Amino acid sequence: MIRRFDMNFTKIENKRVGEHYFRMEHPSGLTILVYPKKGFNSVYASIGTKFGSIYSRFMFNGKEVAVPDGTAHYLEHKLFESEDGDAFQKYAKTGASANAFTSFDMTCYLFSCTDRFSESLKILIDLMQSPYFTKETVAKEQGIIGQEIKMYDDSPDWRVMMNLFGGLYHKHPINIDIAGSVESIAEITPEILYECYNSYYNLHNMVLTVVGCADPEEVLNIVEKNIKPSSPVDTKLILPDEPYDVVKNYTEQIMPVAVPMFELGFKEKCTDKYVTNKEHVCTSVLMNAFAGESSKLYRELMDKNLINASFGFEYLEGLGYRSMIMSGETKDPSAVSEIINDAVRKLHKTGIGSEEFETARKAVYGRLISAFDSKQAIASELISGEFTGREIYGAVDEIAGLTLEDVNERLESQLDADNCCLSVVKGE
Amino acid sequence: MSDFIRRSICDGVAFSNITDDRFKIGRLSATLISPLKKETAAANALLSCVLTRSCKKYPDFTALNKKLDSLYGVSLYPSVRQIGDYQAVTISSSGIDDKYALDDISVSSEMAELLCSILFEPAAENGLFSDEDIEQERRQLLENIDAEYNDKRLYAIRKCVELMCDGEAYSIGRFGRREDVEALKNEDVYSAWKQLLDNARTEFTMLGNSDPENAYQMFSKYFGNTPRKIESIPVVNKVPGKVKRGKIREELSQSKLVLGLRSAYFEEDEDCLANSLMCIVLGGTPTSKLFLNVREKESLCYYCASRMDNNKGIMLIDSGVESENIEKTEESILRQLDLMQKGEVTEEELDGAKLALKNALMSSLDSLAALQGYYIGGILRKGQLSPEKAASVVDKISRERVIELANCLRLDTVFALRGEK
Repeated sequence: MIRRFDMNFTKIENKRVGEHYFRMEHPSGLTILVYPKKGFNSVYASIGTKFGSIYSRFMFNGKEVAVPDGTAHYLEHKLFESEDGDAFQKYAKTGASANAFTSFDMTCYLFSCTDRFSESLKILIDLMQSPYFTKETVAKEQGIIGQEIKMYDDSPDWRVMMNLFGGLYHKHPINIDIAGSVESIAEITPEILYECYNSYYNLHNMVLTVVGCADPEEVLNIVEKNIKPSSPVDTKLILPDEPYDVVKNYTEQIMPVAVPMFELGFKEKCTDKYVTNKEHVCTSVLMNAFAGESSKLYRELMDKNLINASFGFEYLEGLGYRSMIMSGETKDPSAVSEIINDAVRKLHKTGIGSEEFETARKAVYGRLISAFDSKQAIASELISGEFTGREIYGAVDEIAGLTLEDVNERLESQLDADNCCLSVVKGE
Repeated sequence: MSDFIRRSICDGVAFSNITDDRFKIGRLSATLISPLKKETAAANALLSCVLTRSCKKYPDFTALNKKLDSLYGVSLYPSVRQIGDYQAVTISSSGIDDKYALDDISVSSEMAELLCSILFEPAAENGLFSDEDIEQERRQLLENIDAEYNDKRLYAIRKCVELMCDGEAYSIGRFGRREDVEALKNEDVYSAWKQLLDNARTEFTMLGNSDPENAYQMFSKYFGNTPRKIESIPVVNKVPGKVKRGKIREELSQSKLVLGLRSAYFEEDEDCLANSLMCIVLGGTPTSKLFLNVREKESLCYYCASRMDNNKGIMLIDSGVESENIEKTEESILRQLDLMQKGEVTEEELDGAKLALKNALMSSLDSLAALQGYYIGGILRKGQLSPEKAASVVDKISRERVIELANCLRLDTVFALRGEK
């Protein structure tokens, strides 16, 4: 449907959501997505690059590169500086509220504004294209990022999650902290940052999204005036072979917390593919029916005084990692884990019932629709959709036609009670 | 989008709505506001949890949650916040607009009915809630209070406020004291319900695409002509004496430093905006004095930010630092404040802060949750402005006014959570 060097936007619309957006693969290599929100005052713009903390080893022009832990995140901090000054200073003149974040599999730079959009978009495009790393500027950031790392070291939510990944994954770099460690970031040099920049901050690897009161022609105009075209580069992420089984079944850390925290992760078969929209939706319905607030399991854990409203679940998946994680605060993590595991075993025998399926399907549908009220959620789904192949309206359409059989079939490859790990953070 | 239309249901009870067809969801909420007091704070907080757990029609939480799920995942939740020396208990619900339902159900009218049942027809008998509901929610509220200790940034801020406002209602905290929650009896919670329904200042808000008349009529039915005894109290705004200092040692990688300052206190929206602007110049953005100097120039920290509570007249500055840098960071922060008080505010800094504040105000128009927070947060002030009007007021604030307000700041308390490994 879309030709590679088509200078026109393709309009993609959805009747159920009642909205549309425009997509273009610009000749410069950049993919542009413009999602107009009628009547909105603000615009949320972001550029995402498919480069996050798991990109610790990769092939670049036929050569293998390995970088210190925390490099992607360090690069994110340093890109805000260019030879002619700091991007925050430039945004201050337009009033945009700017930020950036690094996740396991991408880095995003963003701003939101209600005025002077074109100036802010120019700043965003410029900051992606004017790397400036010297020994001095790289060294200066070590104190600041060092404090950021220590802040995360003291965060029980973060520690309980990272410890879980360490318990689930033998070799996959998801078990490395996104920001690295004080020691690993000391090894980062301007050369390393330039090498990563040249490998992954290539327009062919990047997506621009603009959500809110914006017009595709205006966006295209600003891009054309400011973009420096780049030729495609040859890069490939190297992922180790990750076995199916977990590293260990239990891990704990002592920290100053009042109520112990737990994360119980069920590891799944890992592939080098992303899950599809349909698989995602099946998982959401499955988990809502199994562990949602109206489920038998939730009731049992509550009645036994084992969980509180902090209980929840999340599906974590990407290249080479897939796991379902249930988490919360509890006075007795082992008891929670036992009850969940018993329920999981029963679930595999009985499957989800049709009444639970119908209720969960409605709840998931409502939440998917609600997400379209948030510019930030739309932008984030648009970018990850480009990287994972999951079109943003796909989930809503899938759920409308979903059957109980679909969900129970999906269950077969999920929630293996013999392949899970319990991570606990508790006080002394 | 319509204006914020506010009409009275009866003395002290109002219904406000914004009709707006831009959103996929609608929000309906009830906020009950009363002076924050040690005797009632815990009971009001626990009440909000007990109410959202069940009602006569759906007498246990599984039945209630099934109903919410079947309404396309309506979310119904309690929240408790402090508005200066007042406590505001809110029951919020949000759900998809009727036109997105896959069947012919009217989510909006079901939501209004549900909120009425929750507020006015709880699962109570003979002047008591069910003991099971009370005990379950008490346990969870206590765990919630205890969990505040887990987030060290917030914990340090709370400790600073407790020390700073010792003896004032403000230091009680939005949930009341832990020991008061523990000591509550079923009848205390029940009488908190009666008391709030009869006498609290009550604000219903409805935001979204649905016709507000139906909900307005439904709520009105429950209020008669009995006069309410709405209690109002003057907000305490002390002039600090000698700087108070507090310190706790913890096993942490990073120390937290919090400075509590008293600011000028105002009831008019215009003055509050000027106070907020002053706070933003000092430490509200990545180009503020604190960020640029304490973080960027001196590399002392990852964050160093100031926040203003205009409903109380308090500004807090907090930072996460190495233990050996606690004193150095305090000096560095106070140096920036001193420079500002001496008039060191450039036009560039002022313009940047104005743009940031206007951007935040105008952006709130694009989120129903932000709009609701904006109006409820300023509900006790005089002549509350819409976000658009507030943004135009910001433009007119002078540099002199900002410096004048910076000179009203007085350091009251310095609190350090000292990390030791």
